Amino acid sequence: MLSWLESTSLAVWLRESPSVWSFPTVLTLHTAGMAVLVGASWMLDLRLLGVGRNVPLSAYRWVFPTLAVGLFVNLVTGVLLFIKDPTTWGTAMPFLVKMVLVVASVATLVPVRSLILRRDAAHRDVSRNFRLLAIASILAWAGAVTAGRLLAYLVV
Amino acid sequence: MNLAHLHLVMNHVPTVGSVAALGLLLLAFVRRNEHLKHAGLELLFVIAVLTLPVYVSGVAAHREIRDRPGVSEDAVKVHQDAALIGFTVTEFAGFVAWVALWQSRRRGRAARGLVPAVTVLLVVALVVMGRAANLGGEIRHPEIRAAGAAPALAGDPERFMTSAISQVAVYSTWAWPAAEAVHFLGLALSFGVLLAVNLRILGVMKQVPFADVHRLLPWGMLGLGANLITGMFFFVGQPGQYTASTPFFWKVAFLVIAGANFLYLTVFGKAWPPFDVAQGGREGDRGDGRFDASVADKSMAILSITAWLAVLYAGRMLPFLGRSF
Repeated sequence: MLSWLESTSLAVWLRESPSVWSFPTVLTLHTAGMAVLVGASWMLDLRLLGVGRNVPLSAYRWVFPTLAVGLFVNLVTGVLLFIKDPTTWGTAMPFLVKMVLVVASVATLVPVRSLILRRDAAHRDVSRNFRLLAIASILAWAGAVTAGRLLAYLVV
Repeated sequence: MNLAHLHLVMNHVPTVGSVAALGLLLLAFVRRNEHLKHAGLELLFVIAVLTLPVYVSGVAAHREIRDRPGVSEDAVKVHQDAALIGFTVTEFAGFVAWVALWQSRRRGRAARGLVPAVTVLLVVALVVMGRAANLGGEIRHPEIRAAGAAPALAGDPERFMTSAISQVAVYSTWAWPAAEAVHFLGLALSFGVLLAVNLRILGVMKQVPFADVHRLLPWGMLGLGANLITGMFFFVGQPGQYTASTPFFWKVAFLVIAGANFLYLTVFGKAWPPFDVAQGGREGDRGDGRFDASVADKSMAILSITAWLAVLYAGRMLPFLGRSF
C-alpha cells in the first residue's frame, strides 16, 4: 500500500517536479504552520505557568482558532510530505516518534481548551494539574519540532 | 552595485553609529535627560541590527576581491576574526540596550546600573569594532599600514576563530543538526510572541491591556537570540553557500525590517496608560476593551507579521531558490 502511494502521480510530482511550487512550497508551508501552531500553543502554556497571571484566561480564546489554522495547514502539508516518500517515512522510527509527540502535544490541548472556554470570563486561577499539563505541552512540542527537524538527518 | 559595494557602504555604520550612540548616552548622563537616554539606547539597538548585514556582506566582499593582486588572504582572515568579535560584542550591547528599553517601558525606568553597563559595553564594542575596521581598511589600503609592515600576518590557518567554527560545522556529525533543531524551536517561540503581540494591536483580546502583552516580548527575544546564535553558526560555518544566495539576501533584508519593528513593539508610545496618562494626560488603554490601536500601530502590526513570514519563507527556501542546505 505504501509503495502504491509512492507511485501515485501526486507523489511523483512532489518528488520530481523542479517547480518551486511543489515540494519546496509544501515544506515551507509546513514550517510556517509549525510556527503558528507551536508558537500559539506555547503562549498559552506560558500563561498557564503564570506569565501575565493577571490576564483572565478567557483572553486566550483567540489561541484556539489560531491553533486550528496551524493544525489544518500542517495536517495537509504533512500528509503531502508523507505521500512524497511513504515507504521511507512509514518504516522510519524517528518519524513514528515525531508522530507520537505531535499527537501527545495536541492531546494536551483538549483539557486546556475546556479550561479556557469556560463561561466565567474573569477566571484567572490555574490548578497545579494544568501547570503540569502546560509543562508537558511545552516539552512535547519541543520534542516534536526537534524530531521533525532531525528527520532530515536521521532518515535519508 | 554588488554585495562588496554594500559592505563598503555599510561598514562604517557600526563604528560611526556607535560613536553617535555613545555621544547621546554621555550627554544624557550629563544633562540627566531620560529622552536622550532612550534615543541613545534605541540608536544602539538599530546599530546592532544593521551590523548583521555589515558582517554577512563582508564575506561577499571577500569573494569579490580574493583573487586580485595585492590582496592578502591572511589580512582578510585577520579582519574577519576581529569582525566576528566586534559583531558579537555589538550584538550583546544591543541586547542589553533592548533590556533597558523594555524595562523603561514597563516600569518607567531601567534597572539601576543597566544603562551605565550598556555604556561600558558600547565602549568595548567601539574598541573591538574599531580594530576590525582598521584591519579591514588595511586589506585594500596599503597607505594606512605602518611603514614597511607586511599585511597583517596570520600564520597557521587553523588558528583563526572563523576557521575553527567552520571545522566544527563541516566535520561534526551532530553540531549542525542540533543547531538546526534549536533554530526551529527559536523560530516557533519568537513567532508565537510576535503573533500574540501583533494580534492584540490588531484588536484581538482587547480586554487585555498592552502592558500584559508587552510582558511577553522577552520570550520573543529569547527565541531571536537563539536564532541569531545558531544562524551565525551556520553562516560562519559555511559562508560560501549563503553569500551567493538571493534568498539569503532577502532574508537578511527582512530581518533588518523585522528587527526595527521589534524595537517599535518594545517602545511604542500610544495606548499605554500608566506613564502616558501621568505625563501627558493622553488617553490610553485601560484594559476595558474599548481602546483601539491607531491605524499606524495596526499597519506596523501587519508589517511585523509579514516581515517575519518573509524571513521564514526566505530561510526555508534557501536550499531551493539558492543552493544552500
